[in-house]
Amino acid sequence: MDYDFSGCGFTEEELFTRVDHNDLESEKITAPRYSYWHSVFRVFFKKKINIVILALLAFVIIFAYVYPAVSTYDEFGNLTDASAKHLMPGAAIDKFGFNIHWILGTGAAGQSTFDAIWYGSRISISLAFVCAAINMTLGVIIGAIWGFSKKVDIFMMEVYNIIGNVPYILFISVMVMLFTASFWTMVLALTITGWLGIAYFIRTQVVIIRDREYNLASKCLGTPTVKIALKNILPFMTSVIVTLLATEIPSYISYEVFLSYIGMGLSDMSLGRLIYAAETAMVTPGWGFEFWSPVAIASIITVVLYVVGQNLGDASDPRTHM
Amino acid sequence: MTKYLLKRLLHGLFSIIIVVGVVMVLIYSLLDKMQIFAADANYAKVKNNNKITYRYTTWERYGYLDYVSYQDYLYELTYSGEITEEERSAAVGIGRTPEKDSEKAKEYTKKFTDYYKSKGYTVERYNAVMATKNKVADGGAAVLFAYKDIPLIVRAWNYFTGLLSFDNINAVEDYDGERGIEFTWFDPVYGGEKFSPAIIGSGTKHRYLLYFDSTFPFIHQNLVTLNLGTSYSVNRGIDVFKTMTNTQGAYAKSLVTFPKGLTEESADDLHTATYVPGSKDINKVNADRFDTDYTNVDLVRNGFSKMGYSFVIGIISVALAYLLGVPLGILMARKKDKLIDKIGTIYIVFIIAVPSLAYIFLFKQIGGSVGLPTAFDINSPTTLMYILPIISLALPSIANLMKWIRRYMIDQMNSDYVKFARSGGLNEGEIFTKHILKNAIIPIVHGIPGSVLASLTGAIITERVYVVPGAGNLLTEAINKYDNGVIVGVTLFYAVLSVLSIILGDLFMAMVDPRISFSDKAR
Repeated sequence: MDYDFSGCGFTEEELFTRVDHNDLESEKITAPRYSYWHSVFRVFFKKKINIVILALLAFVIIFAYVYPAVSTYDEFGNLTDASAKHLMPGAAIDKFGFNIHWILGTGAAGQSTFDAIWYGSRISISLAFVCAAINMTLGVIIGAIWGFSKKVDIFMMEVYNIIGNVPYILFISVMVMLFTASFWTMVLALTITGWLGIAYFIRTQVVIIRDREYNLASKCLGTPTVKIALKNILPFMTSVIVTLLATEIPSYISYEVFLSYIGMGLSDMSLGRLIYAAETAMVTPGWGFEFWSPVAIASIITVVLYVVGQNLGDASDPRTHM
Repeated sequence: MTKYLLKRLLHGLFSIIIVVGVVMVLIYSLLDKMQIFAADANYAKVKNNNKITYRYTTWERYGYLDYVSYQDYLYELTYSGEITEEERSAAVGIGRTPEKDSEKAKEYTKKFTDYYKSKGYTVERYNAVMATKNKVADGGAAVLFAYKDIPLIVRAWNYFTGLLSFDNINAVEDYDGERGIEFTWFDPVYGGEKFSPAIIGSGTKHRYLLYFDSTFPFIHQNLVTLNLGTSYSVNRGIDVFKTMTNTQGAYAKSLVTFPKGLTEESADDLHTATYVPGSKDINKVNADRFDTDYTNVDLVRNGFSKMGYSFVIGIISVALAYLLGVPLGILMARKKDKLIDKIGTIYIVFIIAVPSLAYIFLFKQIGGSVGLPTAFDINSPTTLMYILPIISLALPSIANLMKWIRRYMIDQMNSDYVKFARSGGLNEGEIFTKHILKNAIIPIVHGIPGSVLASLTGAIITERVYVVPGAGNLLTEAINKYDNGVIVGVTLFYAVLSVLSIILGDLFMAMVDPRISFSDKAR
């Protein structure tokens, strides 16, 4: 084909220069630099809704930790004042004057509902994070070993089948009765068998990926199993683990609420315990705020955590990075 | 196939035995046995040495240990004829301290101590607690007893061997009539004229071993009785299985003709009569009605049983969940990323993320404001009171089914066979219903037996919130009341159901999907 470049103002040399083969240059990849976590956050923040939800989550968490630290809350401060009990927000503000404490009214002991839900949120969120951290760490490590070793697999499958049939509330109630119902007892109760489900999930994922061709090849080349697990399989599972985490953290809050409701919960003032204590207020006209406030805040926390986790899970899948 | 099933069942049986063992360790060994007195009003009342004996007798009832008091030991000796009644009454009174025992008492307390020590028991004696110098304090009489902890293996063995009891004509000791089994075409309960076959035993524990009546499943038997464990505090003295299956509510009276010919309005169910020695002549009420000592009858009540209520609510909500969840899931997959998919996703996220307690209360509030009854009342049953519990149970299962159906459908949508079908000119409707659905439904089918069987066990929160007298709260109630018998029984029941539902699920799946086969040949 014949092109006429004379009108473009290039000289003959500029249009065609001889490029010699260069061994060093040919090794370079000219694609843009790829950083995994950078891409994860790029994809995550591309959706504007994620920023809003993340901001909401940050607000809830910071408020739950900072507010109780800077404000003083005395559950039984107004115990002797009969006129301070079960007040609607308007009535409480009339009585005590406008203050952030009274914007959600008062509870059964004349305490501030607003303060109570933030104290409760702090305990519930802490419980969820601690339990999730312990269960995920144990679950992922044990699940990986479980998936790799056939001997461990036979043994662990039996353990899984047996423990799975023992009612979970039985474990928890035994733990709560053995020790006092403190924060760490609840952590122990929720983690003593909680990791098993996660480990089983991870095991299934490992079994699926373990025998893929690239791992087989890696094994033939003499890569140690630990290195295969860490370098070949773990990156594959990042999105799975993040997605799992997204369902796990809110589930502990739900579980704590459930346990408190059936009377086996914490002795501390968690969200679940607040709901349990205010249950009678639900059906009483005019007392609704003290019941629905902890329910609402528990729902907001769990939904926000879940949505952030799910979207982070989606973003951490490298197939979405294109 | 049969071989495989048998293997699975045996495996499940092993699993169940271990589960019961684990639960027994948890409740008998790990829990402090003093805990059971925490809510016991009687315990606070009894004083001094009586408190100690009360403690041990209660522990024996709860299955912790074997307890024998000195008095029981002497009664046993009298009964077996080793000592006479006079000797017994001479030996039974023990002194305030061992030194003050009478000669006879000294002899027998030594025998007692030696005998039980040789059998591995711990023998304890507490001296009398004195209020004044000469007056024994309230409940302070001297006591002597022996006890031995029951080892786990023995406890588990006793439990499993006692699980099924078979009625036979020698079941009752010292039966005062002729033992035997009688078959009749005309059940005497119906006046002896209506055609209704029945097998009647004499000397058996139950009077009626096999009979027909008008309630489901119409043919009933008392030959084999299931003993899951006797309750102590939840439903005192009654077996767990009976607690779950006996009818509740107000007595349902009907015209009953008693064996002596008296006909009156009564709630007695004569078919359930069991033998109680000497009960016929114990009072006039029984003497007027019964001609044998088979007088202990269950009463007919007009409500369902605990399990019945749970099952009715559970099964309807399961049906509702599959009828709504599956089509909605398919719709979401077909309209992927459209409005309906987004609304569905919001609903799923809501159900998964929000604590179940919160949305059940929300439904209760909404239901209550439109005028639906929010609490169950078994004495004035209406169909309306079932609505809210059913909805509360169905909505989360619908969300769950929608989530998985959508996931499986979308995973299948990119398969080669779908592309092939599309290139073959099939329209989208045909592809979805005839090709994708058939593949996507397989994992869903696996869960059907599980959800049907799970509705027998009831739902904890739903039943609590709507005050349903169902089986769901049995376990939590038993845990709160330290009712060990019920805890073990309910756990066994749960474990059996869970093992069965997995096996049945696999069978179901093999029926739906011809590619799945459990026989060895096909592999």
